[in-house]
Amino acid sequence: MGLFTFRKKVKPIVYTIEECPKCGRKVKRKFKPGDYVYKEGEVCEKCNAKMLITMIYAETPT
Amino acid sequence: MMGWLGEIFPTGRATNDPLLSFMLFYLPIMFLIVYGQKIQMWMVLNEVGRALKKFKVMRDKARNEVIDHIKGFVRPDVDLTKKVDGFLEYFTISPVDLDPSGIIRKLDHLMFVKDERMERELELLAKDADKVQLSVMENLLEVASELNYIYKVVRHYYLLGKKMANLYILLQIQMLMPIILQEAEALMGAIDGIKAMQPLGDGIGPLVVGGFMVGKEKKRLAKDTVIAEDEIKGRRVIFMKAEGPAGNVGKPGKAIRRLIDEMKVKIKLIVMIDAALKLEGEKSGEVAEGIGAAIGGIGVDKYEIEEVATEYKIPLYAIVIKESIAEAISVLRSEIAKAKDKVIEAIYRLIDEKTSKGDVVLVVGVGNTLGIGQ
Ligand SMILES: [Zn+2]
Repeated sequence: MGLFTFRKKVKPIVYTIEECPKCGRKVKRKFKPGDYVYKEGEVCEKCNAKMLITMIYAETPT
Repeated sequence: MMGWLGEIFPTGRATNDPLLSFMLFYLPIMFLIVYGQKIQMWMVLNEVGRALKKFKVMRDKARNEVIDHIKGFVRPDVDLTKKVDGFLEYFTISPVDLDPSGIIRKLDHLMFVKDERMERELELLAKDADKVQLSVMENLLEVASELNYIYKVVRHYYLLGKKMANLYILLQIQMLMPIILQEAEALMGAIDGIKAMQPLGDGIGPLVVGGFMVGKEKKRLAKDTVIAEDEIKGRRVIFMKAEGPAGNVGKPGKAIRRLIDEMKVKIKLIVMIDAALKLEGEKSGEVAEGIGAAIGGIGVDKYEIEEVATEYKIPLYAIVIKESIAEAISVLRSEIAKAKDKVIEAIYRLIDEKTSKGDVVLVVGVGNTLGIGQ
């Protein structure tokens, strides 16, 4: 909020990070309603294990 | 010397017409001396009035969002608007502090009654909602009533200053306006995240601790507060957080008291992880370590934790993650999310340095656990 700069309001995008407990693969995707951290995620493409949501965060697109 | 000053303060030599110089130079000065304050007052009144309108818009928007959100769970014949307006006006009378001994007990009781009342009434109102949904409504109501309060206080000073034609009352509220506005905007920003049940910045503590609890057996020790155990480097480590993914903060004070007093667990070290307010200039997501009970709120839990830690001589270590008020109540930012690994590292290090094999360590994640399971 500078004195002479105008703040452009960019809406941050919320992402969900899923991690595979077996192979450690990380997937970053957009947040879906119903997601919460430490909820079981989708099946890992590589090893068919259930992935775990390990993080949900907002990021302002640049 | 008189060159340029002469133009500003004409001595009569500059112009031959005394009437003209009087009108041009002395009349405005006299006018400003007499009416200056009135003009200033008018300007301040205008500015505060504009801000007040902004606050009203925010309050109304928050109120409508709450009504909209609850509507889906309520029978159509209920007058929801009236009900929500009632909720927004709920107040809590703080206990007398003339004789402060024992005031925590009273505060604790008051908070209990306050929470119970809100929960029961919401339950009755929205019969179809589950626990998580109810907690979302509670969080939204809290935001809306905070905005309602801000609006009403600003309006109070605005009207008071206007009625008494008192510039100094208006100046005070005008000076505070940027800070109040920032807070109100932060509250507005929190609404979307709460509705979508996304983790808040305040939830970074429970988020870190919840990771250790995944797949372990959970035990509930106090209202909305759960623990799980694991073994780390030969130590028995108990992890505690509010029960997610509902928007709870739990009762860590009561839970720790129970763990130590009732369940007789001999704890060697307590590590508390919480979001802390950063100062302007500090970076968001910075991790700092210290000692003491890292917990905010009204002070009831902090008191209880300090009491029990002192009684049993348990060292209290704190790991805090720096963030602004706005960041704490809106969706977890990526800068703050990055602190997760650093905090985990710090936990391992503290356990390693401060305890030895066979000890019991308690790690508490403090904060709102909305959108964070375990
Ligand atoms: Zn995998």
